Amino acid sequence: MSSISELYDVSWEEMRDKLRKWREENYRNSEQIVDVGEELINEHASKLGDDIWIIYEQVMIAALDCSRDDLAWSCLQELKRQFPDSHRVKRLAGMRLEALERYEDANKLYDSILQDDPTNTAARKRKISILRAQGKSSEAIRELNEYLEQFVGDQEAWHELSELYINEHDYAKAAFCLEELMMTNPHNHLYCEQYAEVKYTQGGLENLELARKYFAQALKLNNRNMRALFGLYMSASHIAASPKVSAKVKKDNVKYAAWATSQISRAYQMAGRGKKENKCSVKAVEEMLESMQITMS
Amino acid sequence: MHEDDSGVTKKRTLQLPSMSVPLSSHEMGEVELSCLAYAKMYLHASQFPRCSVNGLLLSSSAAGGAVCITDCVPLLHTHLSLAPITQLALTQVDVWCSQTQQRIVGYYQANACASDSSPTPCALKIAEKIFEQCNNAVLLMIDGEKMFPGCRVPPIVMYERKDARWALKDKHTIMLRQWEETCSIVNQLFSSGDQALLVDFDSHLDDITKDWTNQKLNAKIMELVSPANGNV
Repeated sequence: MSSISELYDVSWEEMRDKLRKWREENYRNSEQIVDVGEELINEHASKLGDDIWIIYEQVMIAALDCSRDDLAWSCLQELKRQFPDSHRVKRLAGMRLEALERYEDANKLYDSILQDDPTNTAARKRKISILRAQGKSSEAIRELNEYLEQFVGDQEAWHELSELYINEHDYAKAAFCLEELMMTNPHNHLYCEQYAEVKYTQGGLENLELARKYFAQALKLNNRNMRALFGLYMSASHIAASPKVSAKVKKDNVKYAAWATSQISRAYQMAGRGKKENKCSVKAVEEMLESMQITMS
Repeated sequence: MHEDDSGVTKKRTLQLPSMSVPLSSHEMGEVELSCLAYAKMYLHASQFPRCSVNGLLLSSSAAGGAVCITDCVPLLHTHLSLAPITQLALTQVDVWCSQTQQRIVGYYQANACASDSSPTPCALKIAEKIFEQCNNAVLLMIDGEKMFPGCRVPPIVMYERKDARWALKDKHTIMLRQWEETCSIVNQLFSSGDQALLVDFDSHLDDITKDWTNQKLNAKIMELVSPANGNV
């Protein structure tokens, strides 16, 4: 089997830089990280300098994701040797136990970290992840709520909590978490759009109007967010079709829906240009928009 | 699961799916799952191992008699229980089905938590909607624990509507023709890297130049399916 550097004609520096990019942007492309990282470690360790330790950590986590316990183990050994008393390395050992589904042993490890350092957020979050992996959603939710009372600025935790609530169909609480996230990240179109989806799901005229507003906001922040565009179209259509709205509200929403329709058509026309393979999806959208127009008028 | 070694099954192998008519009332409630549908469901679940995924089961056969699942459309891998995108996807697949003479006959889901393959409230809700239009609709849960190489049993649990609830289907009414060949086709897709061609509706929304009807992947799979058996 040829090496990554041969297959893709890249230098070891480029491989190292790619790993850094994936690390900084928090990508979870574990198979790629394992491929690139393993080769880097095996062939070019001496050139990496102090970078090698963070690369060991990154590759180890990716290896756990791909069930490569052999690779994870060897990375862990290197890290243990270099940083014998580190909590950070202990947490990695815990993650390996989690991957092996040895949850009790993992919990013991995390508890020992917390005994030493009660403010260690990483260990606390791992314990919550274990609850999630075991399907103990209500406990995970409870623990995460307690965690957030102390660490109210932890974005990742708020998002995790919103996901848990969505899975449990507790849309009101999911909306609350997303409101927190929107407040601290007003330019993030994804949070706006997710919030709108939750409101739409809750249903009822008021929620639909809120949904429409937040889909529109998401589009303002990123005019290529297709979910927001479709969401705007659907919420405006539903409001316009409701018997409970005034003539003015109906007229306004028909306008919003029409605008969304034209944007969607344009986007699909551009997407369909020259690409024979997505003709089917383009045709489906066109017909859907046409048919929904008819039911609305 | 039947394998192709009983006299009855061999006879039906020579019939085209659209002509399959129950030979006796005993065969009502039979469900046939094509290699194409199975392969894409499996690929979908494998592409997003940490997420719950779902999709729709389609049939190109006429209604009545056995349910022949001839294809599937992978839908979501995020926020399965939120309404807007699910509604959008259902509408678009509906339109596409009427353009291509197919019907939606079922729903599949694979839970993120591999050890729990029971239908979630969201799965039941969508299956219910499909049942309103198709009275022998099936709900298919993928059993994550059986998705390992060399597993001899299809990782599938099927439910049907009986007495106003979704009940486990008798395994003997579920047919997966040429099971060994299907497994080998799935393996070939993985070794050639073609499993990465699969596009679900979520991925389509991330990049609308991607085709959620998977024409390219369908063609690759049909190439691999043995022409001698005449199945879809």
